[in-house]
Amino acid sequence: MKRNVRIIVSLLLVALLSVSLFAAGQTDAGTRAPARKVINVWSFTDEVPKMLERYKELNPSFDYEINTTIIATTDGAYQPALDQALAAGGSNAPDLYCAESAFVLKYTQGDAAHFAAPYKSLGINVDAKLKEADIAQYTVDIGTNAKGELVGLGYQATGGAFIYRRSIAKDVWGTDDPAVIKTKIGPGWDKFFEAAEALRRKGYAIISGDGDIWHAIEGSSEKGWIVDDKLYVDPEREAFLDVAKMMVDRGYHNDTRDWTDAWFADMKDAGAKKVFGFFGPAWLINYVMAGNSGGSKPGEGTYGDWAVAEPPVGFFWGGTWVIANNNSPVKQALGEVIEWITLDSSTSGLQYYWANGTLFGPGGTKDTVASGTVMKKSDGTLPFLGGQDMFDVFVPAGQFASGKNKTQYDESINIYWRDQVRSYSAGNKSRAAALADFKQQVADNLAIAIR
Amino acid sequence: MRNKTINYAKYGYLFSIPFVLAYLIFHLYPTLYTVVIGFTDLRGLGKTTFSFLEEPFQNYKLILNNPTFMRSLGNTFLIWTMNFIPQILLALLLTAWFTNRRFKVRGQGAFKVMIYMPNIITAATIAILFNSLSGYPKGPINDLLIRFGIIDVPAHFHMQKWTARGIVAFIQFWMWYGHSMIVLIAGVLGIDPTLFEAAEIDGASAPQIFFRITLPRLKTILLYVLVTSMIGGLQMFDIPRLFLWGGPDNATLTASVFIYNQAFSGSYLYNRASAASMIMFIIILIFSSVMFYALRDRYEEKMRKNERALRKAMRKEASV
Repeated sequence: MKRNVRIIVSLLLVALLSVSLFAAGQTDAGTRAPARKVINVWSFTDEVPKMLERYKELNPSFDYEINTTIIATTDGAYQPALDQALAAGGSNAPDLYCAESAFVLKYTQGDAAHFAAPYKSLGINVDAKLKEADIAQYTVDIGTNAKGELVGLGYQATGGAFIYRRSIAKDVWGTDDPAVIKTKIGPGWDKFFEAAEALRRKGYAIISGDGDIWHAIEGSSEKGWIVDDKLYVDPEREAFLDVAKMMVDRGYHNDTRDWTDAWFADMKDAGAKKVFGFFGPAWLINYVMAGNSGGSKPGEGTYGDWAVAEPPVGFFWGGTWVIANNNSPVKQALGEVIEWITLDSSTSGLQYYWANGTLFGPGGTKDTVASGTVMKKSDGTLPFLGGQDMFDVFVPAGQFASGKNKTQYDESINIYWRDQVRSYSAGNKSRAAALADFKQQVADNLAIAIR
Repeated sequence: MRNKTINYAKYGYLFSIPFVLAYLIFHLYPTLYTVVIGFTDLRGLGKTTFSFLEEPFQNYKLILNNPTFMRSLGNTFLIWTMNFIPQILLALLLTAWFTNRRFKVRGQGAFKVMIYMPNIITAATIAILFNSLSGYPKGPINDLLIRFGIIDVPAHFHMQKWTARGIVAFIQFWMWYGHSMIVLIAGVLGIDPTLFEAAEIDGASAPQIFFRITLPRLKTILLYVLVTSMIGGLQMFDIPRLFLWGGPDNATLTASVFIYNQAFSGSYLYNRASAASMIMFIIILIFSSVMFYALRDRYEEKMRKNERALRKAMRKEASV
């Protein structure tokens, strides 16, 4: 008797297992489950999922369940996972997904563009709303697919500035006024390196490592990595080889790598030399530098000893685009939240809360947003910047930003490029060899033709 | 009196069904699929339709003519050798100590656990940990070396090819020598103790016992360790990928990282990745067979040969 029970139980287990196996394989698009009240969200930070949760709290009638998947972009892990999820489809497919500037083009114009739903098909009155919100043009360019339909928009504006230390500026030039400092470090790289020399004589490093300057060069170059389906090295990007080597040879920086411990340490004077500044958009201040400054109010660590000035060249770095899945059964709801996040320029829209740091109550983190209308009625004063209104610098910086020098391969190509540049600047190989090896790597790994 | 015998074998089959099912669906099918798409034009995100190439071995040719693949192969063997030689030597030494009957090592259990411990930690964690430890210009290893006056300026471990390879090899060594040691100890415990007793009575020294009795008797286990370590080493992926993404300048790019890059780093060259995987499969197959052949039990083979010759002779005699 007992034995029979055991057999039945084991048979049941086997049946259960095989059922779940076959169910997992059944993902054809034809038999879709009836409309569900769930939104599957894929993102690489918790920003957008938190926005959606907040939207639910503010609008109790919006009774969708938010099902979140977060995978960090470090080591390029997010893209492959998202690609698999999109390609697999089914009821667990992402309904709303985020893409970062390094790879957003793949999802709006490139290989994965066919998954993206035009905002119009979500019931958003795109043209009128774009005009009303005065969205930065590069955000729109990047979010528009080959057919001219808008499929993605961001909520941040990520035009960059030079974020520098007030005390070091006073020591070297006798003033910390952004209006003066911007004439010391720019315009143009020549003036920037003059400033680097002046700083070096006083024992300071102008930046932390080559990654800092790379983001400015990458964002300001005229063309991207791919032109006419072939690899193209923009003269400005190629010049980065010489800039990187020169900065190492002359000791203009601490030779750190961005996003490593040493780079973070330089934000609170824990490096070999004190670092004068960092290139970055508003998000770098709030999400990276503030937390690594060694303090949380003026007087502690380097907190409050910073200011922003116009950079020697205009650039933008990063940003999140919000995209809806074309196959999603909950398009109406997606349209509602996407409009709130990307196009609502009223004081109850997300961007107003985001700019003023009031999404989760007063006193939150301030940031620059995509809507010019919202920026005009927002206040960007930060204690971290000694009371400076950062919007005075970041809003004009947005106009330098261009989406035209991006490609869908940027994340991978940048890894190969910076690896070769670092080999050259460390003196491990010749300039010609570094360039040749870079091209070889792109050709070998991505099957992109070299000109 | 029993009128029927109980056949326990059927329970074995029953219990193995889940495994067999899972294996067929999640292992055998993807493997066969990989073999197939190696001969097709399947590339690009989200594509599931493909057609066979007119020139079936085009992907294989492309991979074999790919300088980055060749370098990744070289790196794989280099890093595996750099980790395996010290690993097996240390494992053998520890095995000799732990199984020595004359000097009983105290706290053996604790040591074995501690030595095995690195193997339990996730490889990803270890790769990122070592990346931080060997950081430049600030990192614990650099700080220590400078504090003790061994070097004056911080060493750029991540930019020099040999230090980067050395660290990857060291991580592999450090993670796996405990595992090899446990397997070898199990092998030694399986040797007939009377052999050791006899040797001791005959006055053999510890090194003599080790080299004349333990090592020859351990050959099969050694072969097992060698082959599994080689297969694992040739598939090395997580540590080099997470430690420096295969850098600097491709110095730690292993064949598996190369295959991953083909398939997932932007161009979705599934067909070429499959071809590269099959090439790796063939290489592993060849090397394993060579090792099996080189380390085969010569004595047993001789016995078999003699037996065969004897049988033949007997048959001949019988027919006469």
